[in-house]
Amino acid sequence: MGVVMPLQKAMEKSFKQVTRDDSTDLALFVRTSEEDIVGWKRQRIVDALLRETFIDRDTAERISIDVEKTVQTSNLKTVTGPLIRELVNARLLELGLEEARRMHTRLGVPLYDVDHLLVQHNKENANVPHGPEATNLTLAEGIKKEYALLHVFTTDVADAHLSGDLHLHDLGFIDRPYCSGQSLEYVKKFGLNLPNSLALAKPAKHADVLLAHMVKFAAALQSHFAGAIGWDAVNLFFAPYLEEMSDREVKQLAQMLIYEFSQQAVARGGQAIFSDINVYWEVPKHFVDVPAIGPGGEYTGKTYGEYEKDAQRFAWALFEVYKEGDGAGRPFFFPKPLVHITEKFFKTEGHMDFLHHICEVASLKGNTYFVFDRGDTAKISECCRLSFKLDASDLEDAKEPWRMRYSALQNVTINLPRLAYKAKGDDTKLFTLLTERIKLAAKGHEQKKKFIEKLMGLGKGGPLAMLAMDLDGNSYLRLERCSYLMGMVGLNELVKVHTGEELHDSEESLKFGLKVIAHMNIVCNKMAEQLGMKFVLEQTPAESTAYRFAKLDMAHHPEETARVIQGDMESGEIYYTNSTLFNVGAKMNPIARVEKEGLLHPLIEAGSITHVWLGEANPDKKALADFVIKTFRHTNNDQIAFSPEFTCCLDCGKTGRGITETCRYCGSAKIDGITRITGYFTKISSWNKGKLGELHDRYRNEERFVRK
Amino acid sequence: MKKLDNIKGFIESSFIDWPGRSCAVLFLGGCNFRCPFCHNHPLVQNPGELVSYPLEEILARLRPLRKWLGGVAVSGGEPTLDPNLPELLKILRGEGFPTKIDTNGSRPRVLARLLADGLLEMVAMDVKNVLVTDKYERCAGVGVDLDEIRKSIELIRKSGIAHEFRMTVLPHYHSRDDIIAWAACLGNDSPRKLQNYDPRSPMYPNLAGAKGFSPDDFAELEQLAYTHRT
Repeated sequence: MGVVMPLQKAMEKSFKQVTRDDSTDLALFVRTSEEDIVGWKRQRIVDALLRETFIDRDTAERISIDVEKTVQTSNLKTVTGPLIRELVNARLLELGLEEARRMHTRLGVPLYDVDHLLVQHNKENANVPHGPEATNLTLAEGIKKEYALLHVFTTDVADAHLSGDLHLHDLGFIDRPYCSGQSLEYVKKFGLNLPNSLALAKPAKHADVLLAHMVKFAAALQSHFAGAIGWDAVNLFFAPYLEEMSDREVKQLAQMLIYEFSQQAVARGGQAIFSDINVYWEVPKHFVDVPAIGPGGEYTGKTYGEYEKDAQRFAWALFEVYKEGDGAGRPFFFPKPLVHITEKFFKTEGHMDFLHHICEVASLKGNTYFVFDRGDTAKISECCRLSFKLDASDLEDAKEPWRMRYSALQNVTINLPRLAYKAKGDDTKLFTLLTERIKLAAKGHEQKKKFIEKLMGLGKGGPLAMLAMDLDGNSYLRLERCSYLMGMVGLNELVKVHTGEELHDSEESLKFGLKVIAHMNIVCNKMAEQLGMKFVLEQTPAESTAYRFAKLDMAHHPEETARVIQGDMESGEIYYTNSTLFNVGAKMNPIARVEKEGLLHPLIEAGSITHVWLGEANPDKKALADFVIKTFRHTNNDQIAFSPEFTCCLDCGKTGRGITETCRYCGSAKIDGITRITGYFTKISSWNKGKLGELHDRYRNEERFVRK
Repeated sequence: MKKLDNIKGFIESSFIDWPGRSCAVLFLGGCNFRCPFCHNHPLVQNPGELVSYPLEEILARLRPLRKWLGGVAVSGGEPTLDPNLPELLKILRGEGFPTKIDTNGSRPRVLARLLADGLLEMVAMDVKNVLVTDKYERCAGVGVDLDEIRKSIELIRKSGIAHEFRMTVLPHYHSRDDIIAWAACLGNDSPRKLQNYDPRSPMYPNLAGAKGFSPDDFAELEQLAYTHRT
């Protein structure tokens, strides 16, 4: 069979032949976007206008003639495609053809910006280093972001984003879902069988091969999701491979796992994979009777309940590795370990030793996240805060754990303080505005959903082929199960504007804060019913959004904003308090913070966290363990993490405790700090100004004597 | 109730002041030592300039935390100088809080009384250096009767309650040999803890610029303190 020329190309070709004679004899060369230089052809303008917009041929012809005149009188020898396009756009604008201009617009980046970008460091996300891959990512994100705002979202939604009423997260990743949680069982059962990959790997027979599959799969997923890649019950699902391994070998495997994930900064955009591993000391109830999959993807004949000891050995070893830190003694940034504290945890043998072990890691390195699953709740946690509560149908899935794949399709965050500026103290107005914003956010979610559905609809030949793969009869991304996140920034400042007090100041202000979040929750549930989409509240990590909103509000509402903004206006290090957190600088003891912030957590279904900043102090592991147990027993708090601070030396390479001006080892002043930015550790030199302002303010539970 | 108006500092929950427990900490003003490296020196030099926390306010803030806290540590300054200390400890214990004090051991009679009256669950004592007069006095910044220090060490060792001997170390004040000798005079069974000097806010300006031991050296000294026993 001969090669069939695609219809469109064939038509273009014949069209060119027909129109060749129409072109003016202008001695002018055009640098096109296809990397060639061609002679001037007026007809190309007409073609583009007819192809890309709805205007009629006569108008197109007229515009092309006008532009040709302009070019002719300019006496240029060479023009560029983009310049011609802008001249055409200018004509469209003059003629009042706004819709056509919009459709005909060009997405791209000014020369100056690119030059700047290739040399300077992008600080929007501290997890992106500086390098050629990182700038590729930024440039691509820039264009996709423009595309999203022009083409995926309607003008009202896009404008709300641009003006800072709300924030559509990861617009540069418009063609991917937001984040995902998965099960190692998928890789164990199906091996590594990815569309577009050259080699197919059968299910692993050895633990280290399984690890290799896991890491590759995570990297592949990173290219298909904007954010976090979480893994459920990692220590348990590895267990059937560990039976024959000595403790030393298990430790080696733990080391490989942590180093592999923490050193993946060679992947997309030079970014480490934002990865989480969920760890259980007990065998979670919903997995006890599930048949275990072992080497070769075969059932081992045992249930997971029988693998408790091996799962525990692996969990212990993982935290030994975290305790040691990397080759320079620094904490590992990824994968983040999330330990689930449940009723069953306390009934499982050895839990106190394990708790002390992970608390020692929390004290020394800060890695441990304590996730509280009270009552019958089961959760998978990932990203900075996001967690998925498993409902009845999910627990049915747990019988075949490879089905347990979750995703949030998008995150939209609402700028809460701005609502209060507009409400001017009027409750009804405030709640009405809040409802309107949530509705607009929901509209944005619908539009993203529609776009992803379109891409998924292209199936295995489309751009999301990997998410469309259906090894178990369902597509990997189960669109119908996706959540849509509603985030918030600056509850504390909203409350301060509206009531005159911050959340920590009084019972009344806290109650008002609860009322706001409860309202958001109710509106989300109503919208969910109406649109058949699962809208859930999330504490937005807001690594850059808290800064972006603050800056935009300083521009749009300078007076009101100046009264409540956090940080230092002089240096520009300003920010709103993240999500529903209390003022980070408030002199609250950790108990009050976990209790009071925890009051809001049950309303935030997709997960919350309270940070306890430790600064320099090395707390006692048993004291921390006691605190963790009491947080589980006495509060509604969803998740806590303790954050120490470190200084690493760029000269001697060693890492000391606390943020110091010089290296504690060699005295060098060439140093960088390390601590948690939002939900993960990173180098302070990469932080944006807003976060630097926050770092300054964080209250670290140190006593201060008050002078009279 | 006596006038308990010498509480100059208050932390509601600390993870570093009572081994194994989270606890509240009260700081009493006034001290008979002048350790040049003291980091609580506002309490030592000019306690009168600091605002006092009324005991009632403290108790009101502590009561809701009872189920969270493993006790209250009374620190300073030097708490045994305060004649109201026994009363304070009784009140705290009456509220259901186990109690601990941090002391420099210069007042063994007070300590003996507190122990005899069962007012303490734990004692932490700063033993500033090896028990050699010139070395000790250099660290304490004043003349010290080492016999009193010895008596306190003995009292604590034989008290039967949880205890800890501590020492803040810094170069030029503590040599390796000092640390070995220090550890040896504390007997075999007592927990001990070294603290590295924190250069951020020393009492004496002439210590400004002085540094603690490098973390590597400090780790080695810690090792010596644990392994050398009598």
